[in-house]
Amino acid sequence: MQKLGDFKLPHFFNYPPYFTLQPVRDTREKQAQLWKELILDYCRSQKIFVIGLEEDFPLFTNPVIERTLSHEARQVFLSALVSEGRAEWMDKGHKKCLILWLRIQDWADCILNFVKENGLEDSVMTVEEIRSGIESRGTELAGIDRTVLTRALRLLEQKGKATIFKGTSADDEGVKFSA
Amino acid sequence: MRRRPGISGLQTAAAARDQYRLLGENVAKIRTDLMKEQLATFRSQLEEFARKHKNDIRKNPAFRSQFHEMCAKVGVDPLASNKGFWAELLGIGDFYYELGVQIVEICLATRSHNGGLINLQELCTLLCQRRKTARDSVSEDDCLRAISKLKKKLVRSVPTELNKDHNAILELAQAHGYVTVEEVEKQLLWSSGRAVDTLETLLKEGLSMIDDGHRDGKRRYWFPCVASASAALGSEALKT
Repeated sequence: MQKLGDFKLPHFFNYPPYFTLQPVRDTREKQAQLWKELILDYCRSQKIFVIGLEEDFPLFTNPVIERTLSHEARQVFLSALVSEGRAEWMDKGHKKCLILWLRIQDWADCILNFVKENGLEDSVMTVEEIRSGIESRGTELAGIDRTVLTRALRLLEQKGKATIFKGTSADDEGVKFSA
Repeated sequence: MRRRPGISGLQTAAAARDQYRLLGENVAKIRTDLMKEQLATFRSQLEEFARKHKNDIRKNPAFRSQFHEMCAKVGVDPLASNKGFWAELLGIGDFYYELGVQIVEICLATRSHNGGLINLQELCTLLCQRRKTARDSVSEDDCLRAISKLKKKLVRSVPTELNKDHNAILELAQAHGYVTVEEVEKQLLWSSGRAVDTLETLLKEGLSMIDDGHRDGKRRYWFPCVASASAALGSEALKT
Protein backbone atom coordinates (compact mmCIF):
# COMPACT_ATOMS: atom_id res chain seq x y z
CA MET A 1 0.00 0.00 0.00
CA GLN A 2 1.34 3.37 -1.05
CA LYS A 3 1.68 6.02 1.63
CA LEU A 4 2.05 9.78 1.83
CA GLY A 5 3.91 10.32 5.09
CA ASP A 6 1.79 8.40 7.58
CA PHE A 7 -1.30 8.61 5.41
CA LYS A 8 -2.48 5.40 3.75
CA LEU A 9 -3.55 6.03 0.18
CA PRO A 10 -6.60 4.23 -1.20
CA HIS A 11 -6.30 1.71 -4.05
CA PHE A 12 -7.88 3.95 -6.65
CA PHE A 13 -4.96 6.37 -6.27
CA ASN A 14 -2.86 3.83 -8.18
CA TYR A 15 -5.38 3.27 -10.96
CA PRO A 16 -4.49 5.67 -13.82
CA PRO A 17 -8.00 6.45 -15.19
CA TYR A 18 -9.00 8.05 -11.89
CA PHE A 19 -6.66 10.90 -12.85
CA THR A 20 -8.66 11.63 -16.02
CA LEU A 21 -12.10 13.21 -15.74
CA GLN A 22 -14.54 10.51 -16.81
CA PRO A 23 -17.02 11.48 -19.55
CA VAL A 24 -19.74 8.99 -18.55
CA ARG A 25 -22.02 10.38 -15.85
CA ASP A 26 -22.30 7.39 -13.52
CA THR A 27 -18.60 6.69 -13.69
CA ARG A 28 -17.74 10.33 -13.05
CA GLU A 29 -20.04 10.47 -10.02
CA LYS A 30 -18.27 7.48 -8.53
CA GLN A 31 -14.91 9.03 -9.37
CA ALA A 32 -15.84 12.37 -7.76
CA GLN A 33 -17.10 10.56 -4.67
CA LEU A 34 -13.79 8.77 -4.17
CA TRP A 35 -11.77 11.97 -4.66
CA LYS A 36 -13.99 13.97 -2.29
CA GLU A 37 -13.52 11.40 0.44
CA LEU A 38 -9.79 11.24 -0.17
CA ILE A 39 -9.37 15.02 -0.05
CA LEU A 40 -11.33 15.34 3.21
CA ASP A 41 -9.54 12.40 4.87
CA TYR A 42 -6.12 13.58 3.83
CA CYS A 43 -6.67 17.21 4.87
CA ARG A 44 -8.03 16.10 8.23
CA SER A 45 -5.11 13.80 8.94
CA GLN A 46 -2.54 16.41 7.88
CA LYS A 47 -4.47 19.39 9.29
CA ILE A 48 -4.57 21.11 5.93
CA PHE A 49 -7.14 23.89 5.60
CA VAL A 50 -6.30 25.52 2.31
CA ILE A 51 -5.62 23.94 -1.07
CA GLY A 52 -4.15 26.14 -3.79
CA LEU A 53 -5.20 24.83 -7.17
CA GLU A 54 -2.12 26.03 -8.94
CA GLU A 55 0.34 24.89 -6.32
CA ASP A 56 1.83 21.44 -5.91
CA PHE A 57 -0.42 19.38 -3.72
CA PRO A 58 0.70 15.82 -2.94
CA LEU A 59 -2.72 14.32 -3.56
CA PHE A 60 -3.04 15.70 -7.06
CA THR A 61 -0.02 13.90 -8.44
CA ASN A 62 0.99 10.26 -8.23
CA PRO A 63 4.61 9.92 -9.33
CA VAL A 64 4.45 6.12 -9.11
CA ILE A 65 2.03 5.85 -12.03
CA GLU A 66 3.04 9.21 -13.53
CA ARG A 67 -0.39 10.76 -13.45
CA THR A 68 -1.52 14.27 -12.45
CA LEU A 69 -5.02 15.68 -12.05
CA SER A 70 -5.72 18.36 -14.63
CA HIS A 71 -6.67 21.84 -13.46
CA GLU A 72 -10.20 21.16 -14.65
CA ALA A 73 -10.43 17.93 -12.67
CA ARG A 74 -9.16 19.64 -9.49
CA GLN A 75 -11.81 22.30 -9.92
CA VAL A 76 -14.57 19.75 -10.54
CA PHE A 77 -13.81 17.72 -7.40
CA LEU A 78 -13.36 20.76 -5.15
CA SER A 79 -16.54 22.36 -6.53
CA ALA A 80 -18.36 19.16 -5.62
CA LEU A 81 -17.11 19.58 -2.04
CA VAL A 82 -18.17 23.25 -2.10
CA SER A 83 -21.69 22.30 -3.19
CA GLU A 84 -21.91 19.94 -0.22
CA GLY A 85 -20.80 22.59 2.24
CA ARG A 86 -17.50 20.81 2.90
CA ALA A 87 -15.37 23.49 1.23
CA GLU A 88 -15.49 27.13 0.17
CA TRP A 89 -13.81 29.06 -2.60
CA MET A 90 -11.66 31.79 -1.08
CA ASP A 91 -11.47 33.95 -4.21
CA LYS A 92 -13.52 34.65 -7.30
CA GLY A 93 -10.99 33.04 -9.59
CA HIS A 94 -11.34 29.71 -7.74
CA LYS A 95 -7.62 29.41 -7.16
CA LYS A 96 -7.77 28.80 -3.43
CA CYS A 97 -10.13 26.53 -1.58
CA LEU A 98 -10.87 26.33 2.13
CA ILE A 99 -11.44 22.72 3.16
CA LEU A 100 -13.97 22.12 5.91
CA TRP A 101 -13.37 18.56 7.04
CA LEU A 102 -15.36 19.73 10.01
CA ARG A 103 -18.22 22.09 9.19
CA ILE A 104 -18.21 25.50 10.91
CA GLN A 105 -20.99 24.22 13.17
CA ASP A 106 -18.86 21.22 14.17
CA TRP A 107 -15.89 23.47 14.90
CA ALA A 108 -18.14 25.63 17.12
CA ASP A 109 -19.18 22.49 19.06
CA CYS A 110 -15.54 21.54 19.29
CA ILE A 111 -14.69 24.92 20.85
CA LEU A 112 -17.55 24.61 23.33
CA ASN A 113 -16.29 21.20 24.44
CA PHE A 114 -12.80 22.60 24.79
CA VAL A 115 -14.12 25.49 26.95
CA LYS A 116 -16.07 23.08 29.13
CA GLU A 117 -13.24 20.60 29.61
CA ASN A 118 -10.79 23.31 30.61
CA GLY A 119 -13.21 25.27 32.77
CA LEU A 120 -12.78 28.38 30.65
CA GLU A 121 -16.35 29.61 31.03
CA ASP A 122 -16.42 33.34 31.85
CA SER A 123 -12.75 33.73 31.13
CA VAL A 124 -11.07 35.65 28.33
CA MET A 125 -8.69 34.13 25.79
CA THR A 126 -6.99 35.55 22.75
CA VAL A 127 -7.83 33.93 19.46
CA GLU A 128 -4.19 32.99 19.08
CA GLU A 129 -4.26 31.15 22.43
CA ILE A 130 -7.05 28.92 21.18
CA ARG A 131 -4.96 27.97 18.14
CA SER A 132 -1.63 27.46 19.82
CA GLY A 133 -2.05 27.62 23.60
CA ILE A 134 -1.05 24.83 25.97
CA GLU A 135 -4.68 23.87 26.61
CA SER A 136 -5.38 23.13 22.99
CA ARG A 137 -2.28 21.05 22.42
CA GLY A 138 -3.19 17.57 21.21
CA THR A 139 -6.79 18.53 20.51
CA GLU A 140 -8.37 19.02 17.11
CA LEU A 141 -8.18 22.79 17.73
CA ALA A 142 -4.38 22.89 17.71
CA GLY A 143 -3.25 24.69 14.58
CA ILE A 144 -6.78 25.45 13.37
CA ASP A 145 -6.95 27.84 10.45
CA ARG A 146 -7.54 31.42 11.58
CA THR A 147 -10.39 32.05 9.16
CA VAL A 148 -12.16 28.88 10.21
CA LEU A 149 -11.67 29.68 13.90
CA THR A 150 -12.99 33.23 13.50
CA ARG A 151 -16.03 31.92 11.62
CA ALA A 152 -16.76 29.38 14.35
CA LEU A 153 -16.38 32.04 17.06
CA ARG A 154 -18.75 34.36 15.18
CA LEU A 155 -21.29 31.57 15.06
CA LEU A 156 -20.94 31.15 18.84
CA GLU A 157 -21.33 34.91 19.24
CA GLN A 158 -24.56 34.82 17.24
CA LYS A 159 -25.85 32.16 19.61
CA GLY A 160 -24.88 34.26 22.61
CA LYS A 161 -22.24 31.82 23.80
CA ALA A 162 -19.21 34.03 23.23
CA THR A 163 -18.25 37.68 22.85
CA ILE A 164 -15.45 38.77 20.54
CA PHE A 165 -13.35 41.82 21.43
CA LYS A 166 -11.61 43.69 18.70
CA GLY A 167 -8.03 44.51 19.58
CA THR A 168 -5.71 47.00 17.97
CA SER A 169 -4.34 44.35 15.60
CA ALA A 170 -5.56 40.98 14.38
CA ASP A 171 -3.20 39.27 16.81
CA ASP A 172 -4.80 40.47 19.98
CA GLU A 173 -8.42 39.74 19.21
CA GLY A 174 -9.94 38.33 22.35
CA VAL A 175 -12.92 36.20 23.13
CA LYS A 176 -14.98 35.72 26.26
CA PHE A 177 -17.03 32.58 26.65
CA SER A 178 -20.30 32.66 28.54
CA ALA A 179 -21.35 29.89 30.86
CA MET B 1 -29.87 -85.78 -17.34
CA ARG B 2 -31.11 -88.57 -19.50
CA ARG B 3 -34.04 -87.51 -21.60
CA ARG B 4 -37.17 -89.48 -20.85
CA PRO B 5 -40.23 -89.33 -23.03
CA GLY B 6 -43.78 -88.82 -21.83
CA ILE B 7 -45.71 -86.61 -19.44
CA SER B 8 -43.57 -87.38 -16.42
CA GLY B 9 -40.51 -86.24 -18.32
CA LEU B 10 -42.12 -82.88 -19.13
CA GLN B 11 -43.21 -82.49 -15.51
CA THR B 12 -39.72 -83.13 -14.23
CA ALA B 13 -38.30 -80.58 -16.64
CA ALA B 14 -40.91 -77.95 -15.54
CA ALA B 15 -40.15 -78.65 -11.86
CA ALA B 16 -36.44 -78.25 -12.51
CA ARG B 17 -37.09 -74.88 -14.23
CA ASP B 18 -39.11 -73.71 -11.21
CA GLN B 19 -36.30 -74.76 -8.93
CA TYR B 20 -33.75 -72.82 -10.96
CA ARG B 21 -35.97 -69.77 -11.00
CA LEU B 22 -36.43 -69.86 -7.25
CA LEU B 23 -32.75 -70.25 -6.74
CA GLY B 24 -32.05 -67.36 -9.08
CA GLU B 25 -34.52 -65.12 -7.25
CA ASN B 26 -32.91 -66.04 -3.97
CA VAL B 27 -29.47 -65.18 -5.19
CA ALA B 28 -30.69 -61.86 -6.55
CA LYS B 29 -32.41 -61.08 -3.26
CA ILE B 30 -29.32 -61.92 -1.30
CA ARG B 31 -27.31 -59.66 -3.56
CA THR B 32 -29.74 -56.78 -3.19
CA ASP B 33 -29.81 -57.17 0.56
CA LEU B 34 -26.07 -57.21 0.65
CA MET B 35 -25.94 -54.11 -1.50
CA LYS B 36 -28.50 -52.35 0.71
CA GLU B 37 -26.52 -53.29 3.74
CA GLN B 38 -23.34 -52.00 2.20
CA LEU B 39 -25.02 -48.76 1.21
CA ALA B 40 -26.41 -48.32 4.72
CA THR B 41 -22.98 -48.93 6.19
CA PHE B 42 -21.47 -46.53 3.72
CA ARG B 43 -24.03 -43.88 4.45
CA SER B 44 -23.64 -44.20 8.19
CA GLN B 45 -19.90 -44.02 7.80
CA LEU B 46 -20.16 -40.95 5.62
CA GLU B 47 -22.43 -39.45 8.24
CA GLU B 48 -20.02 -40.33 10.96
CA PHE B 49 -17.20 -38.87 8.94
CA ALA B 50 -19.13 -35.67 8.36
CA ARG B 51 -20.06 -35.44 12.01
CA LYS B 52 -16.52 -36.07 13.13
CA HIS B 53 -15.01 -33.53 10.76
CA LYS B 54 -17.85 -31.05 10.95
CA ASN B 55 -15.60 -28.25 12.11
CA ASP B 56 -12.97 -28.93 9.48
CA ILE B 57 -15.61 -28.97 6.77
CA ARG B 58 -17.03 -25.68 7.92
CA LYS B 59 -13.78 -23.90 8.52
CA ASN B 60 -11.29 -25.22 6.03
CA PRO B 61 -12.10 -24.38 2.41
CA ALA B 62 -9.70 -26.97 0.96
CA PHE B 63 -11.17 -29.71 3.11
CA ARG B 64 -14.67 -28.57 2.19
CA SER B 65 -13.87 -28.78 -1.48
CA GLN B 66 -12.54 -32.33 -1.08
CA PHE B 67 -15.59 -33.33 0.87
CA HIS B 68 -17.81 -32.02 -1.94
CA GLU B 69 -15.79 -33.98 -4.46
CA MET B 70 -16.13 -37.16 -2.43
CA CYS B 71 -19.87 -36.67 -2.09
CA ALA B 72 -20.22 -36.01 -5.81
CA LYS B 73 -18.47 -39.30 -6.61
CA VAL B 74 -20.98 -41.32 -4.64
CA GLY B 75 -23.94 -39.29 -5.87
CA VAL B 76 -24.71 -37.40 -2.69
CA ASP B 77 -25.42 -33.67 -2.96
CA PRO B 78 -25.17 -32.04 0.44
CA LEU B 79 -26.71 -28.89 -1.04
CA ALA B 80 -29.66 -30.59 -2.73
CA SER B 81 -32.06 -29.61 -0.03
CA ASN B 82 -31.66 -27.08 2.69
CA LYS B 83 -33.85 -29.19 4.91
CA GLY B 84 -32.03 -32.40 4.20
CA PHE B 85 -30.00 -34.37 6.61
CA TRP B 86 -26.69 -32.92 5.43
CA ALA B 87 -27.78 -29.36 5.75
CA GLU B 88 -29.02 -30.01 9.26
CA LEU B 89 -25.91 -31.83 10.23
CA LEU B 90 -23.41 -29.39 8.79
CA GLY B 91 -25.30 -26.18 8.32
CA ILE B 92 -23.67 -26.20 4.89
CA GLY B 93 -26.83 -25.27 3.02
CA ASP B 94 -27.25 -22.09 5.01
CA PHE B 95 -23.59 -21.32 4.51
CA TYR B 96 -23.94 -21.25 0.73
CA TYR B 97 -27.22 -19.38 0.70
CA GLU B 98 -25.68 -16.74 2.95
CA LEU B 99 -22.66 -16.61 0.67
CA GLY B 100 -24.93 -16.23 -2.34
CA VAL B 101 -26.66 -13.23 -0.82
CA GLN B 102 -23.32 -11.65 0.02
CA ILE B 103 -22.04 -12.23 -3.51
CA VAL B 104 -25.07 -10.49 -4.99
CA GLU B 105 -24.55 -7.60 -2.58
CA ILE B 106 -20.91 -7.23 -3.55
CA CYS B 107 -21.75 -7.37 -7.26
CA LEU B 108 -24.29 -4.60 -6.86
CA ALA B 109 -22.03 -2.49 -4.66
CA THR B 110 -19.09 -2.65 -7.07
CA ARG B 111 -21.17 -2.25 -10.20
CA SER B 112 -20.47 1.47 -10.59
CA HIS B 113 -16.78 0.70 -10.27
CA ASN B 114 -16.44 -2.34 -12.53
CA GLY B 115 -19.49 -1.92 -14.72
CA GLY B 116 -21.07 -5.14 -13.51
CA LEU B 117 -18.35 -7.64 -14.32
CA ILE B 118 -16.15 -8.88 -11.56
CA ASN B 119 -13.07 -11.03 -11.48
CA LEU B 120 -13.70 -14.20 -9.48
CA GLN B 121 -10.51 -13.72 -7.51
CA GLU B 122 -11.43 -10.17 -6.58
CA LEU B 123 -14.93 -11.23 -5.63
CA CYS B 124 -13.38 -13.80 -3.35
CA THR B 125 -11.09 -11.24 -1.72
CA LEU B 126 -14.00 -8.85 -1.14
CA LEU B 127 -16.07 -11.70 0.31
CA CYS B 128 -13.31 -12.54 2.76
CA GLN B 129 -12.98 -8.89 3.79
CA ARG B 130 -16.72 -8.70 4.31
CA ARG B 131 -16.76 -11.87 6.34
CA LYS B 132 -13.79 -10.87 8.44
CA THR B 133 -15.85 -11.30 11.57
CA ALA B 134 -17.09 -14.74 10.60
CA ARG B 135 -14.51 -17.34 11.55
CA ASP B 136 -14.72 -19.50 8.49
CA SER B 137 -12.80 -18.54 5.38
CA VAL B 138 -14.05 -18.80 1.80
CA SER B 139 -12.39 -20.23 -1.30
CA GLU B 140 -13.06 -19.63 -4.98
CA ASP B 141 -14.58 -23.10 -5.06
CA ASP B 142 -17.08 -21.98 -2.42
CA CYS B 143 -17.90 -18.88 -4.48
CA LEU B 144 -18.63 -21.01 -7.52
CA ARG B 145 -20.82 -23.36 -5.52
CA ALA B 146 -22.75 -20.47 -4.02
CA ILE B 147 -23.18 -18.90 -7.46
CA SER B 148 -24.47 -22.16 -8.91
CA LYS B 149 -27.01 -22.16 -6.09
CA LEU B 150 -28.10 -18.74 -7.35
CA LYS B 151 -28.97 -20.58 -10.56
CA LYS B 152 -26.83 -18.23 -12.63
CA LYS B 153 -23.55 -19.27 -14.06
CA LEU B 154 -22.27 -15.78 -14.87
CA VAL B 155 -21.66 -13.06 -12.32
CA ARG B 156 -22.87 -10.33 -14.58
CA SER B 157 -25.08 -7.54 -13.39
CA VAL B 158 -24.97 -5.30 -16.49
CA PRO B 159 -28.20 -5.11 -18.44
CA THR B 160 -26.58 -5.20 -21.90
CA GLU B 161 -25.51 -8.38 -23.61
CA LEU B 162 -21.82 -8.55 -24.34
CA ASN B 163 -21.30 -9.45 -27.97
CA LYS B 164 -18.30 -11.09 -29.60
CA ASP B 165 -16.55 -7.77 -30.23
CA HIS B 166 -16.91 -6.70 -26.61
CA ASN B 167 -15.55 -10.00 -25.41
CA ALA B 168 -12.60 -9.80 -27.79
CA ILE B 169 -11.61 -6.46 -26.29
CA LEU B 170 -12.08 -7.67 -22.73
CA GLU B 171 -9.81 -10.58 -23.53
CA LEU B 172 -7.19 -8.30 -25.03
CA ALA B 173 -7.38 -6.03 -22.00
CA GLN B 174 -6.53 -8.89 -19.70
CA ALA B 175 -2.85 -8.55 -20.56
CA HIS B 176 -2.33 -5.10 -19.05
CA GLY B 177 -5.71 -4.03 -17.73
CA TYR B 178 -6.18 -1.58 -20.58
CA VAL B 179 -6.13 -1.27 -24.38
CA THR B 180 -5.59 1.56 -26.86
CA VAL B 181 -7.44 2.00 -30.16
CA GLU B 182 -4.18 1.27 -31.93
CA GLU B 183 -3.69 -2.02 -30.08
CA VAL B 184 -7.21 -3.14 -30.86
CA GLU B 185 -6.78 -2.42 -34.57
CA LYS B 186 -3.45 -4.19 -34.71
CA GLN B 187 -4.19 -7.23 -32.57
CA LEU B 188 -7.73 -7.92 -33.75
CA LEU B 189 -7.21 -6.66 -37.30
CA TRP B 190 -10.20 -4.37 -37.02
CA SER B 191 -10.96 -1.15 -38.85
CA SER B 192 -10.50 2.01 -36.83
CA GLY B 193 -14.26 2.64 -36.81
CA ARG B 194 -15.05 -0.80 -35.43
CA ALA B 195 -12.47 -0.41 -32.66
CA VAL B 196 -13.64 3.07 -31.63
CA ASP B 197 -17.33 2.09 -31.73
CA THR B 198 -16.84 -0.96 -29.56
CA LEU B 199 -14.66 0.88 -27.06
CA GLU B 200 -17.16 3.74 -26.83
CA THR B 201 -19.98 1.28 -26.16
CA LEU B 202 -18.02 -0.36 -23.36
CA LEU B 203 -17.25 3.12 -21.97
CA LYS B 204 -20.93 4.13 -22.00
CA GLU B 205 -21.88 0.90 -20.28
CA GLY B 206 -19.56 1.81 -17.44
CA LEU B 207 -17.31 -1.19 -18.09
CA SER B 208 -14.38 0.96 -19.06
CA MET B 209 -12.67 4.17 -17.91
CA ILE B 210 -10.54 6.44 -20.07
CA ASP B 211 -7.03 7.55 -19.16
CA ASP B 212 -5.51 10.47 -21.06
CA GLY B 213 -2.63 10.94 -18.66
CA HIS B 214 0.11 8.83 -20.22
CA ARG B 215 3.08 10.73 -21.57
CA ASP B 216 2.75 9.13 -25.03
CA GLY B 217 -0.54 11.01 -25.33
CA LYS B 218 -2.49 7.92 -26.39
CA ARG B 219 -5.83 7.38 -24.75
CA ARG B 220 -6.01 4.20 -22.74
CA TYR B 221 -9.25 2.37 -22.05
CA TRP B 222 -8.99 0.67 -18.68
CA PHE B 223 -11.24 -2.16 -17.59
CA PRO B 224 -11.67 -2.32 -13.82
CA CYS B 225 -13.39 -5.68 -14.25
CA VAL B 226 -10.28 -7.43 -15.59
CA ALA B 227 -7.76 -6.03 -13.14
CA SER B 228 -8.09 -4.82 -9.60
CA ALA B 229 -6.49 -1.47 -8.82
CA SER B 230 -3.54 -3.08 -7.08
CA ALA B 231 -2.87 -5.47 -9.93
CA ALA B 232 -3.06 -2.60 -12.42
CA LEU B 233 -0.11 -0.96 -10.77
CA GLY B 234 1.97 -4.06 -11.26
CA SER B 235 1.12 -4.45 -14.94
CA GLU B 236 1.77 -0.78 -15.65
CA ALA B 237 5.15 -0.99 -13.96
CA LEU B 238 6.02 -4.10 -15.97
CA LYS B 239 5.17 -2.46 -19.25
CA THR B 240 7.24 0.70 -18.88
